[in-house]
Amino acid sequence: MTTPPADTVADTAPAAGPAALELADVRKVYGAGDTEIVAVDHATLRVGDGEIVALLGPSGSGKTTLLSIAGGLLSATQGRVVVGGEDITGHSAAELTDFRRSKVGFVFQSVNLVPFLTAEENLLVVSELSGARGGARKQAKARAKELLGELGLAHRAGNLPAQLSGGERQRVAIGRALFNGPALVLFDEPTSALDTKIGEQVMELIQAEMRSRHTAAVIVTHDTRMTHYADRTVRIVDGVLGAEPVEGDLAAH
Amino acid sequence: MYLALKEMRRARVRFGLLAGAVGLLVYLILFQQAISTGLIDQFIGALKNQSADVLVYNAQARRNLEGSIVLPEQSAAIAEVEGVAVAAPLGEGTFTVVAGDPDADEQDAVIFGYQLGGPGEPTTLTAGRLPERTGEAVASSRNAADGFDVGDTVTVVPNAGGTATSFTVVGLAEEINYSVAPTLFTDFVGYDAARRAVNPDATDVLPSVVAVHVAEGADPAEVAEAITAAVDGTEALTRQQAVDESPGVSAVRQSFSVILLLFYLVAPLVTGLFFLIVTFQKAGALTLLRAIGAPAGLLVRSLVVQVAAVVVSGAAVAVGLFWLTTRTVIGSISVPFDLGAIGFTVGLVLVLALVTSLAAIRRVLRIEPIAATTGAGVHL
Amino acid sequence: MGLATTELRRRPGRFAVATVVLTFFSLLLLLLGGLLDGLFLGSTGAIRAQDADVIVYSSTARDSFLRSRLGSDVRAEVEAVPGVADVGGLGFTLLGATVPGENELADVAVAGYELPPTGVPEPPPAGHAWADRRLEDAGVSIGDTLLVGPSATPIVVDGWVEDTNYLQQGALWTTLDTWRTVQNANRPDAFVPDGVVQVLVVRGDGDLAASIDAATGSTSTLSVDDAVYALPGVASQQSTFNAIIFATLAVVLAVVALFFSLLTLERTGLYGVLKAIGASTARLFGGVVLQAVVVALVAFVAGGLLAWAADAALPGGIPLQLTVSRYVFTFVALIAAAVLGSAVSLRRVTRIDPASAIGSAA
Repeated sequence: MTTPPADTVADTAPAAGPAALELADVRKVYGAGDTEIVAVDHATLRVGDGEIVALLGPSGSGKTTLLSIAGGLLSATQGRVVVGGEDITGHSAAELTDFRRSKVGFVFQSVNLVPFLTAEENLLVVSELSGARGGARKQAKARAKELLGELGLAHRAGNLPAQLSGGERQRVAIGRALFNGPALVLFDEPTSALDTKIGEQVMELIQAEMRSRHTAAVIVTHDTRMTHYADRTVRIVDGVLGAEPVEGDLAAH
Repeated sequence: MYLALKEMRRARVRFGLLAGAVGLLVYLILFQQAISTGLIDQFIGALKNQSADVLVYNAQARRNLEGSIVLPEQSAAIAEVEGVAVAAPLGEGTFTVVAGDPDADEQDAVIFGYQLGGPGEPTTLTAGRLPERTGEAVASSRNAADGFDVGDTVTVVPNAGGTATSFTVVGLAEEINYSVAPTLFTDFVGYDAARRAVNPDATDVLPSVVAVHVAEGADPAEVAEAITAAVDGTEALTRQQAVDESPGVSAVRQSFSVILLLFYLVAPLVTGLFFLIVTFQKAGALTLLRAIGAPAGLLVRSLVVQVAAVVVSGAAVAVGLFWLTTRTVIGSISVPFDLGAIGFTVGLVLVLALVTSLAAIRRVLRIEPIAATTGAGVHL
Repeated sequence: MGLATTELRRRPGRFAVATVVLTFFSLLLLLLGGLLDGLFLGSTGAIRAQDADVIVYSSTARDSFLRSRLGSDVRAEVEAVPGVADVGGLGFTLLGATVPGENELADVAVAGYELPPTGVPEPPPAGHAWADRRLEDAGVSIGDTLLVGPSATPIVVDGWVEDTNYLQQGALWTTLDTWRTVQNANRPDAFVPDGVVQVLVVRGDGDLAASIDAATGSTSTLSVDDAVYALPGVASQQSTFNAIIFATLAVVLAVVALFFSLLTLERTGLYGVLKAIGASTARLFGGVVLQAVVVALVAFVAGGLLAWAADAALPGGIPLQLTVSRYVFTFVALIAAAVLGSAVSLRRVTRIDPASAIGSAA
């Protein structure tokens, strides 16, 4: 496989329509001088509205750093980051906190749900954090019920995470990520803690939910069996992005 | 050992807070124990360390020396009771005095007047001799530096119309303070003169109590009962009863014992519960250690080492603070630095802390190394 | 805040340890404070109640009531001092008294007065007294004739007054003459002639203490507040107990800091996720503080009830007195310790990186 230069990656992305995520020449460097480590090197990536992108790479490849930058958890050393039309490049820590609360959704590997809250309440945390009161709170409750229903968890709404299976817990986490209607949902190894069969079910669910909502997603994984659920796969090795042969993706659909 | 200390070094704030809390608690225990025994000794040392076997109070006085006077007919009747060998007057009063340097500030002093050679003389002479004539006195050794050393003159400041009266200190005795004031023991004639110096209008100076030596072989408790029964309006107490039932002493003792009990409970409770929580939190790491071959005994030992290290370092802080406290005088109470009492307290807290840590030890022993492979033992 | 309170409700066990420990501390603080208040109030009531500006002692008395003696000549000198409005005599005698129908004697302080202290009516007729309500515990009732001292001087109780005790003895407020009768019958060694009192209480304006002492040359004059602390043992009791109480509060602070830093440590992963999905440090830390305050509140209520029970169960000899102001002080101190103690966790909460939620399996 030949890896095209990083700055050509943008050309391989769909050019038309508004973008859910735009990374332009993003660099992330840890340390300085002799101890400098480049975690992400001149990464340029465009994820279109409703597009599902799998970010595939071995551990230490920089995929986690890239995801963190896209989600406003880390600031890039250099380059531009635009999510859902909002340029977060120069955002302060407080602005990033607001941004994460309202514009993106996250699904993490394992520590995901608040252990002492029910499934429904775990969804409501999002509106709670936004300070919802009165009518807004009622609306939020209705939305949480609706979302759980769509995720096939209506009967589990009152259960604590400890009473749910691994797959159900991940579905609750997906519900929480979708709660605020974000333009982009970021998935960090969503199936790594699950066995293959449950993992596939979760991926199918992710795919269906993203499609039905026309919500873009970036799914970080090191498991090639999961990439065929994505519209496109982008590889990352040593902080450098490269495109997966386009045919493989098309074959999946 | 290695693991235990390594962990404590990594979590300095937490273990430091615990050791600090334990240290302050041990300090408070030491301080309050010393205050309560110091307070009691300095309140009633004079009663404890005098020679009378039985003290006869006026029943109305409620065992309070300051409030007691024994009437002449009562004194006469006491002497007649079976088992009484010697009955002699013992007077007590608080006076304003100038001690040592004649230009020194006035201060309070308690003066006891007893019959020379009779019951009521101090029994803990450490320097000089007992008084042999009117005008001589034995002083409390604790106050020697305040103008009450052997050779010093102590003058009772008279009220208008009274005549000043002076005493020369000829000896010092240990632990003979009364009401936390410097204390003098002199003859009853000198006490009478002091009383009249401040109350020139006094019609008669009566003894506060009658001090009794019991007859050879007689039981002081029985003689005391006989006196109370035989002489109307009196209450006779053995020396020990007079000490224990002094007003305030039993209340102070009870109050402090309740509070000390609570402190003794709280110090090990904090320690034990802390280690229980910490053990739960690191159950995952402990499981891993068991899986890679650490014997359960080793983990228990390192827990015990940590408990001991926390209590001992806390106690070191406590003893240091307490030593500083004993260098200064709290109010008018001096606090003794008693190594025996300190050792006992620290030992007791350590044992109690280890006992309350048994819950944490049980948790360690219940860890299954196999759980490391399935992850079942890891609590998140 | 919803998160913090939900956790308190759903996982009370997690806070049980801190609550139990703080309950013990709140009980300790209340008992220590109650003892201090009992000692202080019971010793000083008669002086605190004085409705006067200064108290005049004879200069040889070293500010002791029982040793002070002032004659009518000194009184005349004090009355002549400019600024002095009212002068009244005051004297105390500490004795035991026989209560009708009781085996135990009551500890009484017979007080002779002219200017009524706060809450005490004008002096009763000779041989009568207003009694402090504390004497009710010793079996005294209104109308009783108490036989006071070795000479059994009779005093009739006419009514109750409150918080006027002297050196832990129940006050009997009488005329100066009745007091002298009691003193002279029972303490011939401390005879008080007619016209002589122990101290003078003075109402007036200006720098009374200095001008009175200058005019008489034989008195030592203190403000009422200073006179309270000049009572034997009061000042050292206050300083000793307050030292113990504040040291105990320092322990509470350390204990709150300890237990909440353990809780915060436990929640590091959770806080990482919450920060990643948009929770601010302030909100998370506010939750920790709120929980500490709620724990302190529960501990205060439990400790307060235990202290109340202890007050009822302890024998009467212990001068424990639980006052509303002591409860308020303990409450405020515990809440302050909870807020300050939980602040130790601020650093840890601040340091939690939202990025840690990604790429970590545990």
